[in-house]
This record gives sequence, structure tokens and C-alpha cells, in this order.
Amino acid sequence: MIRTLLENNMHWASARVRAEPDFFRRLSAQQAPDYLWIGCSDSRVPANEIVGLDPGELFVHRNIANLAPPRDINFLAVLQFSIEVLKVRHIIVCGHYGCGGVRAALDTQRRGLIDHWLQPVADLAHRHVEHLEEIADFDTRVNVACEHNVRAQVEYLGHNPFVTDAWRRNQKLAIHGWIYSIRDGLLRDLDLTVGRPKDVDRLASRAWFPNG
Amino acid sequence: MDNAGEFKPIEPIPHDLLREPLIWFFAEHYRHRDVCARLIDLSQSIVFDDVALRDVYVFLDRDLPLHVIDEEDDLFPLLRRRCEPDDQIEKVLGMLSAEHANDMMDAAAVRALVARALAEQSGLASFVEARSTIEPFCQQQKRHIAMENAVVLPIARHRLNEADLISLGQRLAARRGLGDPFKSVP
Repeated sequence: MIRTLLENNMHWASARVRAEPDFFRRLSAQQAPDYLWIGCSDSRVPANEIVGLDPGELFVHRNIANLAPPRDINFLAVLQFSIEVLKVRHIIVCGHYGCGGVRAALDTQRRGLIDHWLQPVADLAHRHVEHLEEIADFDTRVNVACEHNVRAQVEYLGHNPFVTDAWRRNQKLAIHGWIYSIRDGLLRDLDLTVGRPKDVDRLASRAWFPNG
Repeated sequence: MDNAGEFKPIEPIPHDLLREPLIWFFAEHYRHRDVCARLIDLSQSIVFDDVALRDVYVFLDRDLPLHVIDEEDDLFPLLRRRCEPDDQIEKVLGMLSAEHANDMMDAAAVRALVARALAEQSGLASFVEARSTIEPFCQQQKRHIAMENAVVLPIARHRLNEADLISLGQRLAARRGLGDPFKSVP
């Protein structure tokens, strides 16, 4: 079974060269992506593919529940490198409906280490527990929490020193919040885009629920 | 299925309506009511009507699940983002979402029955469970649609902006493998 992956790789590389003989030569010369993608590890959300970008066009960081944790050294290294070295112009936080991580953060089952990783999502849900519990259908509640989780990450990023320093240097950098549906393969823009500190303040003051 | 006995297939929605996504939803609800009427008729007949059964089977298998995604992953989340507290939308959407989950289970039971009728070349009335499976499903569908037409769509008309409607129409089309409806010239 594992051999299949190596064979697939050979077919893929060969097809690429047939389509564009200089593809790998061009790719190996430099990496200059305009976008940093912060997405979920879920195997059904292949970042490059769903936005139709080639290798080299998207710098990708994925973890369970698409978090931007302010104390995760891996994430911070990716963020700093992408902003200060690659000089990406857009950071996309992309969640997905039905996220297993968000679902796990919303239920009471104990799973071990993952519960610690998902603590920020659980805390967010706890802050909005009254509103979330008004949503009778649990799957819908999870989906609403998935959207809120994206917003929370956009807000964290908007306060991150690497981001605020970039804005102070007048470096063009926008943060976007999107959500993907595995059921139809489509992305939704959640209207969370921030491109300067004032936008972050405005976003932070926006209501989380239609009823307050 | 009409008085003259000539079969008329379930009417497809004109693609032009993708440019008016809220009208698209009304039209889709009209089709749902039509399918329910056909199902009730079929559930009372022991005559095997291959074409009519196949028509409703395709609707239950393809169109209904897509419609649930249209609402659950598109229209309802948009409304949650756009509505004001006075709209009191959450209670309505919460109820409708719970109904969608049940609808899909009930629809699966109806679809399985239709598949059995097709396989055995029998009218639906030949199966004892036909009425008890189909009638409650159709009644529930009609109640559900009435609520969406009377409450959800009027609020959507009021709250969604031009950009929302364009992106909604584009996703309705993409979900069905169609091109951007706002790029094609009528």
C-alpha cells in the first residue's frame, strides 16, 4: 500500500514535467508565496488544492482545529518566517464545518493531551455557552463554534507582535477568516478581514451572535 | 402525473434563477411540495410506474441533500452573521437545523422504499410501510417549507446584502457543477 504513494509521486512529477518542462527548475530556484495558510490537519482539507494554487504559492501551517496559539513555538516560527522573510501579503485562517477538534472541545469526553491543545476552543465555547446552548442541534452548534474559532484566531493574530510590528513597518499584510465545507468543497469568506490595528479593534467589538 | 395521464417530470429550476438566490430557494421549496404530492400519489398506487418512481428517487438522492447543504452550510450561517437581535433568528434556525437532520434520516427511509419498489417492480402501495413512511415525511416537509417561506426567506431578503446574494448564487451554482451565474450573459 505504501508503495502506491511512491508510484503516485512518480506519476505526479512526470505529469508536471510533461505539462511544464521547467516547473521544478523554477520551483527550486526560490520560494516566494504571497499567502500563509493556517488550516486544520483534517485530511479532507488539502490547502493548495482547494484554492487552486501550485506548490510554491502557499506557505502552509496546519494543526488540529486551525489554531494560532500565541505560545506554540512551531506556529510562531512559521508566522515570523512567513512575515519577515517570505513577506507574505495575506494570512488566511481557514476552518471547516464539522471540525472534529472543535466538536471534541464542545463535548465533555476526556481524550488526554488533545484536550490541552483544544483548551482555547473550549474556553471560547465556555465564554459563549448561553448563546451556543440556544442552538438545539449539536452539529449546528459545532459549525457555529467552528466559525467563532476562526474569528478568535484572526483576532489573536491581529494582536500578535510579529503582525503588529509588520503593520508598524507599513508592511502590507491582511488577515482573512474563511471556512470550508467538506460537503461541497467550497470556501466561505467570513468577513473577518483585518489589515491594520483599527480593523482588529472593530472586529473585536462586533457581536458574536445575532442576539448579542 | 397529470389528469390526462401523461407523465410530466419534476420541473428543473431554470439556471437563470441562480442570479436571484432567494427566489431559487422559493422555487426549490415549490419543487419539494410537488415531490411530496407525487410521493403521496405513488404511495397509494399498486401500479408500478417506473419513470415516476425513478424521478422522485433521483430527487431524494441528489436534489434534497444538496438543498440541505444550501441551507445548513450557506444560507443559515449567512443569516446568523447578518441578523439583528430583533430578528430572533436563532430559535427558528436551531429548530430548522434539527429538522434537517431528521429529514435526512426520514428521506433515506423513503428513498430506500422507492429503491425497493424499483427493484421489485412494484407500486409503493404494495408495501405495508409505504403510507406510514411517506405520509409523515411529506407532512413534515410541508411544515418545514412553510416555516422557511414565511419566516426565514423574508428575513433573508431584508438582511442579506448584494455581495451576500452574489456569493450565495455563485456557491449554489458551484455546488451543482455549474459556472458562475453572474458571468454568463442572459
